[in-house]
This record gives sequence, structure tokens and C-alpha cells, in this order.
Amino acid sequence: MRKLLFVVPILLVAVGIAWAQGGMKKKKPLPYEFGSVTINNYSQQAGMPPVMFDHWVHRQNYTCRLCHVDIGFGMTAGSTKIRSADNMKGYFCGTCHNGRMVHNNKKIFESCAKEYSREEYKTCAKCHTRERSAAKEDEFYRFSEQMPGERFGNKINWELAEEKGLIKPVDYLEKVSSKKVNLKVNQDFAIKAKVEGMPDIIFSHKKHTVWNGCELCHPDIFVGVKKGTSKYSMTEIFDSKYCGVCHEKVAFPQTDCQRCHTRPPQG
Amino acid sequence: MKLIMGIVRRLKLVFMVGCLSLFISLQTAYGEDAWRADFDASCAQSNDAMSLSIPELKKLVERCDVLQKTIEKEDETVRKVFLKRLQLCKNLYIFVLESKAQEQKQK
Repeated sequence: MRKLLFVVPILLVAVGIAWAQGGMKKKKPLPYEFGSVTINNYSQQAGMPPVMFDHWVHRQNYTCRLCHVDIGFGMTAGSTKIRSADNMKGYFCGTCHNGRMVHNNKKIFESCAKEYSREEYKTCAKCHTRERSAAKEDEFYRFSEQMPGERFGNKINWELAEEKGLIKPVDYLEKVSSKKVNLKVNQDFAIKAKVEGMPDIIFSHKKHTVWNGCELCHPDIFVGVKKGTSKYSMTEIFDSKYCGVCHEKVAFPQTDCQRCHTRPPQG
Repeated sequence: MKLIMGIVRRLKLVFMVGCLSLFISLQTAYGEDAWRADFDASCAQSNDAMSLSIPELKKLVERCDVLQKTIEKEDETVRKVFLKRLQLCKNLYIFVLESKAQEQKQK
């Protein structure tokens, strides 16, 4: 009995430490959950459920750059600190969700209001929600059926979908975006794999700039313009740094090794 | 007569206040337009940053610094959006500028 009294607390402490260090295996998100972000800076304080933002809904219509550069959304959940007042003034979500902007011949619903009726609350609940709706899940599967398949993440090959013209992400919004000259795309380059036998990475600027432009990656994520300036390892990438800023949460996950490691090792 | 004079005086006052508020609102509107146009012009070159010369990049960074001071005077939401946007393009210009300067040194 004494031994038991000694062993049980030690076991509990050990489990606690393992839990605190993230020792538990993360639940793999389902395809329609992949890229979902919960935004809860001020919602609950205001008596509303947090916002559940689905990237797949938005990236079929808009580039990453448009929202993360021109509209000003941060790259990590909660970093933008959006208030409903910001949306009502026509910024952040309110840039498009203003009840006036039209997309696919449909008015985009208005985000946030000072006062709302019971009926109007249904609009609030499109974003402020605790649970996923079966209708949205259905919508995802209907959409993904028309897109080229992929093994991981959303199970949608977004790059191919864009290349084939199945989606045409908008990169410019009148009165929001600055008019820019066409981007001169830098050449693709190879990054030598550190593990023997692992194919090298062919990094395509073209594929990335279509979605991101320049300033989304440089210098905040990658500090060098010259090849080899940013030194990073797979451990850091898995820790959501460098490529891992997007590839894991929204863009295809890193478990899909073959998407990046494409070239057989040279000489 | 006094009554008419009083009304005229009040009308004058209303007219002056109206003119003043119109002047202020126009100034605010055009003021915002002015910095917004400058913002667009400054950040529009980010796609072209790699082909700009060192003096051109330096000039853009200076423009961004001036703009930053103007935007800092705006309300919280505008500051949140535009200071972030400005930071992104300014950082890109500085980053290209530094790498070009380094390249020149190495030559």
C-alpha cells in the first residue's frame, strides 16, 4: 500500500509533464477541417461564440496575398486582433463582407452589426459558431469533388486547380489593393536535401508568387533573397517556421514529402 | 428691427459654422486621399523591388518613413491595417536594399 501511495503520484506527475510538453499525438484534421482557424480575441467577451474561419472557402476565390497583405490579416491565428468595429468600418472581414460586394452574382453577407434581430443572428452564426454545420461539410465535399485530388490536407491539389483554371483566385480589389506592375518571377532553384538518399527540393518561385507575391514571404519568413541565406532544418519547418508557416496549417502538409522533394540527388 | 438683426446675426453664425465644418470635412477627406495615394504609389513598386537601384530603394524607404508618421495619426483601425501593410512593403525594400548593398561591397 505504501509503495502504491508512492508510485501513483509519481506516475501522475510524469503523465502531466508529458501532456504539458505536447507528448500526446495531435489529432489529424479531417479534409474539411484542414486550414480551419479559430479567432477568439474579443468574441467571447462580447457574448458571441468565437469565429471559425475556413481557409478552403476563401482560397478558392482569393489569393493568400490579397487577404494577408492588402487586407492586413496576420499569418497566425489571433495576431490581427480584429474587432467588430473594424469590420463595421469596412476593414478586415468587412472589406468584402459588407452587404454590398457581389461575388458570383451574389451579395456577400455583411459582417458584424451593433444591433441585430433574432433573424439577423443567423448571419452572425455563419462565422461565430462553436460547431461545424453539416451543410458546410456537404458544401466542402461538393466543391472538392470538382477539384484535382491530393493525398493530404484538404485532399485538394490547389496548385493544380489554379494551373488548370478550375479556380481563378482574385488578387486585386478596387480601392483596397495598390495597382502594381506585373511581377517578374525569379527562377526556380534546388535545395540540397540533408538526408542521404532523399530527393532534393526544387523550389518554384512561380508557384508561390501566384498566391503570395513577394512581401508575404520576404523578409518576414525568409530573410534572404540569395539562395542559402536562410538556413533552416526540417525540425524548424515542423515547428511552423519557414515553409511551415503555411505548409501544415493551410497549404499541403509536410507529411507529403514528395511534393517538395522532387529531384533525385545530384552526383 | 432688433429681432431682424438678431436673426441675421444668428444666420451669419450658422453660415460660418457650416463653412468651417465643410472646410474641416473636405480637408479630412482630401488629406486621407493624399496619404492613401502616396501609400499606393510607395507600395506599388514591391513587385519590382529587385530591379530597382539603390538610390530608388532608399527613396522608397524614406517615403515609407514619412507615411508612417502620417498614418500613426489616423484612428485605431486605419493604423492597424495600414501600418502593417506599410511595414510589409518597407521591410521588403530594406531587405532588397541591404542585399544589393552587400552585393556591391563584394564586387
